[in-house]
Amino acid sequence: MSALTLNLQVLQRPALWVSVAAVLVASLVGMALVVVMGASVPDALAAFADGAWGSPYAVAASINRTLALALVGIGFVIAQRANLTNVGGEGQIAVGGIAATAVSLYGGAATLPMPLSFLWPMLAAVLAGGLWGGIAGVLKAKAGTNEVISTLLLSFIAVWMVYGAVQSEALLRQPMTNTATLPESQEIPDAAKLPLLSADADTPLNVGLPIALLLAVVVAVALDKTVWGLRLRAIGLNAVAARRAGLRIAPTIVLVLFLAGAFGGLAGAFMLQGDQGSLKARFSSGYGFDGLVVGLLARGSIPGVIAAALLFGFLRSGGISMEMQAGVPSALVLVIQGAIILLLAGAAFWIDRRKESER
Amino acid sequence: MLAEPAVVAAAPPAAVPPLLSLRGLSKRFGSLQALQDVSLDIAPAEIHALLGENGAGKSTLCNLVFGVYQPESGQMLFDGESHHPAGPAQALAHGIAMVHQHFSLVGDMTVVENLMLGQVSGVLKRQNYARSVQALSQEYGLALDPHARIQDLSVGERQRVEIVKCLMRNPRLVVLDEPTAVLLPAEIEGLLAVCERIAAKGCSVVLVTHKLAEIKKVAHRATVLRGGRVVAHSTAPAQEMAQLVRAMIQRDLDGLAAGAGAMLGAVAAGAHGETSHKAATETPRPAADEALQINGLSVVDAEGTTRLDNFTLIVNRGEIVGVAGVEGNGQSELAAALSGMTPASDGRFFVRGQDMTGATPRALTAAGVGVVPEDRHAVGCITGMSLAENLSLNRLDRFKRFGLLDRAALRRAALELMERFDVRAAGPDVAFGGLSGGNQQKAVLGREISTDGLVFLLAAQPTRGLDVGAVEAVYGQIRAACRRGAGVLLISSELDELIDVADRIVVLYRGRVMGHCPAEPAQRERIGAMMAGQQA
Repeated sequence: MSALTLNLQVLQRPALWVSVAAVLVASLVGMALVVVMGASVPDALAAFADGAWGSPYAVAASINRTLALALVGIGFVIAQRANLTNVGGEGQIAVGGIAATAVSLYGGAATLPMPLSFLWPMLAAVLAGGLWGGIAGVLKAKAGTNEVISTLLLSFIAVWMVYGAVQSEALLRQPMTNTATLPESQEIPDAAKLPLLSADADTPLNVGLPIALLLAVVVAVALDKTVWGLRLRAIGLNAVAARRAGLRIAPTIVLVLFLAGAFGGLAGAFMLQGDQGSLKARFSSGYGFDGLVVGLLARGSIPGVIAAALLFGFLRSGGISMEMQAGVPSALVLVIQGAIILLLAGAAFWIDRRKESER
Repeated sequence: MLAEPAVVAAAPPAAVPPLLSLRGLSKRFGSLQALQDVSLDIAPAEIHALLGENGAGKSTLCNLVFGVYQPESGQMLFDGESHHPAGPAQALAHGIAMVHQHFSLVGDMTVVENLMLGQVSGVLKRQNYARSVQALSQEYGLALDPHARIQDLSVGERQRVEIVKCLMRNPRLVVLDEPTAVLLPAEIEGLLAVCERIAAKGCSVVLVTHKLAEIKKVAHRATVLRGGRVVAHSTAPAQEMAQLVRAMIQRDLDGLAAGAGAMLGAVAAGAHGETSHKAATETPRPAADEALQINGLSVVDAEGTTRLDNFTLIVNRGEIVGVAGVEGNGQSELAAALSGMTPASDGRFFVRGQDMTGATPRALTAAGVGVVPEDRHAVGCITGMSLAENLSLNRLDRFKRFGLLDRAALRRAALELMERFDVRAAGPDVAFGGLSGGNQQKAVLGREISTDGLVFLLAAQPTRGLDVGAVEAVYGQIRAACRRGAGVLLISSELDELIDVADRIVVLYRGRVMGHCPAEPAQRERIGAMMAGQQA
């Protein structure tokens, strides 16, 4: 397991050109695979472009994907500042989705006036995600449990909790009217859904966009322009010296992982109260892990998170369209993402070695 | 004769052709000119001392010879042939070996296993190898147990392993980079004897140091570096100590404060006698002047070994109490407990009468306790942050404006402390890790001494690895804090420094107090005996 931690540390702050080069090389690998699979590259690219940004609807859908990824990535970067690695985005999305669904359906969200009717489930998701991250924080602070392990394992628990919740009528499964009733929750009331920004249903952008942007600005300022951010950095760089200087390490670890989890939970709320509308097993569909990659690519900066999230959000949309229109499996996108990580790790290793020898 | 560089551009001519000949070497790191036009000859089988303060370019020069760096310009000749190693492996192949300041040993493995690393392949013949290691270590008087695990060895023993590692390669030149900085007085003697044996067997030794006493004992010739240039050569260093010191620090020894002189080892400890500081503290004080009271403090480690046993002491305001002892006799545990880093197993301690047992570092700072930790890099500072950030690390709350970090105020506070504590840096925003050891320590000390309402300062090994000028500055500041009314507990393994600086001394041996005595040169023998565990 120490190898995993080591690799994540190596990945922490790749230089900008390394990130860009990794993305370019990985895209070339993707195109080569399209050729190997016997599909036409121009067709695949056209389908990709169509799905990613070919219409206002496509752009809006890509942006909504971007938001979920960006929130997880922001959480990752906050934790990274304190030298903590949150790989539990998937589970934090999952518990956020459960909480948002439960509160939307049974928490009286529909009876509340706007905007409380959608903010209340969102808050529940934030708290649930924060709790999920906070558990890892307490384990780390009290028992020294490696947060890479605990957040990852908590993710598996959470993903299966979603499965359990939608399988049982006593929990969130919709009432069974016939044998074809799917194991998923009821559709949440419209009042609990995120209001659209425009009346035009062709561009399904919702209030999640301004909320996420606002949060990104707040976090960027908090990390780089406040005493709190400076303290996080101090703890991240040398926790022992930070403790000697009177900084509170254990509460900070719990808080930071709570925040990272809260952003994951919020991503879950965005997905559920945005385009999904009802809770389904595996509704998080890898966004948490993609968000982790976004965080890694971001090189510790919030603008970096936004850039990487845009890249992955559009990549996902384009990948889905490629599968439908050009017959190229959307798993290709996963291959590209995997290639990006491998290239970053390789580059970081290579650069580190070169620095060593220059010293 | 001692030659000023103006007189002798190159090294003095040697009767035999030199083994290693450096001509006009220059090396630059960014804007820092680390070495400029350095010329130097090392004769076969000589012990050549390379002197200079921290940052003078000694390590850089060694690293050029050893192939770690490549020079920008200049010539290196080894045994008459051009020597420009692309890396340490090439230098080793040519017969040049180096013992670095930081050892590269695997703690989990035994001595012989470490020595075999990279040396042997195929089937391991530990016993055979161990025998050759033993033969070699006996030949040079380097006592070693080949089957001991590295992690169980003292620093001095680890260094012996590194030296054996070098000698296994039958080198023609051994470079020792500051080998004595980490050693105890008795171990230093042993190391110097080893140097002489190595030279007697025909291998040249380059001894990098800033302690003059060592040179006096063993060096055949000496070269002094200052600011990256050769400022003096001496062919009879033992007779030219005063000139060497002047060349090294551009000052006479008489002008040096006590402590710093003792550290150089060129003057007898305590030669400065009663300083005004000591005289000022001789008046009896009322009990209200107690800065720190320790009652029966004990620390038991994770393995259940008692590291500090029933330690009791009172430190009054305006007094410096020294803790003497060979390293590893409970000093680290005492410091860790008093600085709130590890809990005491038993006993209590009070700062100005307030019970601070088990208090957090934060609470201790609030109570007016300043701490200069033993391990500067791991505990004292955050090298990845700026100087300004480090200087205010324990009081960042003061730099808030409208909820945001007030960088301008942080910089102003840093400039003020830099001025007051003579921290030399290009500016408050430079990376802390880029400062010299002396400036780093002055910064840590400055931060701790300027703690609000300082009543007690704990300084653990505050001068370790520092050059003369920095040692002088550190003790100057500690004394000044003491005059302003702080009580100081000074933990050091440099007995001569303690005798010079402290008012009284308590000796630790195996975690127990062996005895108390006034810090007077006449007590040196008695303290030495107590450090060795003899009741005096």
